Amino acid sequence: MAALAAPQPCHKEEFELLKARLSAKPPSPPLGGLLPTNIPELDRLLDGGLPAGAVTTLEGEIGRWSLAAGLVAGATRKGLVAILDDGGLYPPALAQAGARLERVLVVPVRRAIAMARAADILLRSRICRLVLVPAMAVRDAIWTRLATLAHRSGAILIVVAARANAALSAAAGVRLHCALERAVVHGRRGLWGSIAGFELSVGVRKHRHNVVGGTVRIRAEHAEMLDAALR
Amino acid sequence: MLLCVSVLRQAQDDKGEMPRDLWEEMLDALDAVSPLIDGVRPGLAFLDMHGIAGDARAHVTQARRALARFECDVRCGVAKNKIAAQAAAHLADGSVCEPGAERALLSPLPLALLEIDPATIERLRLLGIERLGELARLPHGPFVRRFGPAAASWHELASGVDRRPFVPRGHAVAIEASIFGEGRASDEAQVFFALRMLLARICADLDGCGKRAGALHLEIELEDAATQDFHVPLAMPTAHERTMFEMLRAKLEGLTFEAAIVGVRLAARQLEEGGEAQTLFRTDDLDPQRVAVTIARLEAALGGNVARARTREAHLLEERFRYEPFVLRQPFDYAQGDTVKPFDSAQPFDSAQDDKPFDYAQPFDSAQDDTVKPFDYAQGDTVKPFDSAQGDKRSELVPQLRLHEVREVPVQLRGGEPAVVDRQAVRQCAGPWRIAERSHSDCAEGRDEYDVVLESGTFARIYRQGSHWYFRGIYE
Repeated sequence: MAALAAPQPCHKEEFELLKARLSAKPPSPPLGGLLPTNIPELDRLLDGGLPAGAVTTLEGEIGRWSLAAGLVAGATRKGLVAILDDGGLYPPALAQAGARLERVLVVPVRRAIAMARAADILLRSRICRLVLVPAMAVRDAIWTRLATLAHRSGAILIVVAARANAALSAAAGVRLHCALERAVVHGRRGLWGSIAGFELSVGVRKHRHNVVGGTVRIRAEHAEMLDAALR
Repeated sequence: MLLCVSVLRQAQDDKGEMPRDLWEEMLDALDAVSPLIDGVRPGLAFLDMHGIAGDARAHVTQARRALARFECDVRCGVAKNKIAAQAAAHLADGSVCEPGAERALLSPLPLALLEIDPATIERLRLLGIERLGELARLPHGPFVRRFGPAAASWHELASGVDRRPFVPRGHAVAIEASIFGEGRASDEAQVFFALRMLLARICADLDGCGKRAGALHLEIELEDAATQDFHVPLAMPTAHERTMFEMLRAKLEGLTFEAAIVGVRLAARQLEEGGEAQTLFRTDDLDPQRVAVTIARLEAALGGNVARARTREAHLLEERFRYEPFVLRQPFDYAQGDTVKPFDSAQPFDSAQDDKPFDYAQPFDSAQDDTVKPFDYAQGDTVKPFDSAQGDKRSELVPQLRLHEVREVPVQLRGGEPAVVDRQAVRQCAGPWRIAERSHSDCAEGRDEYDVVLESGTFARIYRQGSHWYFRGIYE
């Protein structure tokens, strides 16, 4: 049996060069497609949008629900969206963000275990393109299971949490973090002014299919701070 | 021979028509006279008496006897065809028109018997035609050319020729199956097995009579003689066994019964003709049955209702929306207000429906019109290049208010506005906005709302009612 010839020095260099080039290239995009966020700057940062069939976390002290509402608005143009509501949902603001409320399933849930059960049923049914859940304190294994179900169904499970715990961070395919840049104030203080919204910086903390890093500034604003109090 | 039954005086609904349910009851009663009944409209029916024993008089007597319990004024007539039978009933109760005498019978009767619109009757009256005999004597061709294609049938009817088909009414079909007294079931697998068996029978019956069910009714009898009923609506009428089973299983998920189950009865409801409606091109790939099954499963598992939100005009934040049961709308449901409506040529154009009708009387004044402005280089007008970044206004987000449980918070005021809220300094404050539940004069109900930015970076909505301050929600 003839012994294998040792690689020539010039071939070794070429091999190393090829290896370096392949390593620098970002991983291939997800097979299930992408859901555009409808925010051009963020879509550029995410290389087209959020990957389908994965868990995405929206984190930060402020702006995470505004970002979620934008995603819901985009998703309702094409199909059904389910929102697990812990009692904090304010549908008029969601409608102002452009969501078609007749395509939003609102599932009232109060306990963490019920939320996990509802998310499980929704992901298995494959009727929704996007399932939005608020943060919940559940066992670590549940996040893994929900991530697997999201992957199987091709739906996007969005978890809105001020801060993701270790298990959720591990299960998430994409982690976006929102931070307050400044408040947007119109007019003066008191009766002659209105707090119109805020400017956020949104950064990618984790992305399974893309290079991590970079932030974009996004403005969340409404002329009358969403509820037209002066009407 | 046809027997015409005309019910003259009977309880009427708001529209002046006989209630449909009552009329169906009367038709059911007439089944005893003839199995073939054409219920043209409430109050008028024709019975096919071919091959039924007895003469015309006997048939009229039978019909009267069948309707006696309704205590209504019934007129009957017998003739070879519908128009003649109706004319006989109109002329005198119990009249019989012998074959060949139709034209003579119809001749003295008014045009209203043809059930044509009053405007046409008035036009004919102006031409001196008030009786069916006069109409029958008109030359067929010129009359039809003047009054349109429908006039051909009026002319024939007035001559005693009736080509309208006899359409027998369908009889109510009851499709149900049950299992009783074959042991007791104490675990769900046995119940599901029984349901599958019943569904197979029901679907076979549905297929057999070419129908589909819009709902199922399940009755479960327990060992302690108690019964529980379940109404299971289906998203779309179907005869598909698997869809029905999924719905039933979803409905029963999470339920526990006090005693063992000893009987199950299943019935198909809201029966419709034909198979399942299919669309060739769909705007999305949603399966209404799958959505309905998922909602049923969620409701069974969580105990609450899956809802959809609807916004409405209101003063108070919490009254600006309400929840209602989720119903999946079919694509392009015009009845529900979808924007693309089919053109209806029968519908006259209504210019008043237009947002802003053009007023021809108003002279065009370009100086007053701010929509059409001449381009003026002298005023410094410049051609603005298209800015794609400005074009997409939806790229901005809308702040979302998250409602929190209302709780009282300590607030310190400075200069009449909140300076410290819940032990946090206020960086920015906007308000107050007086919001009253009913009217501005009703001060007891009114509350002053504020938006505040706290030193922690929280954007909050608070309000003052009387001398107390409350925390309502956070913009996130």
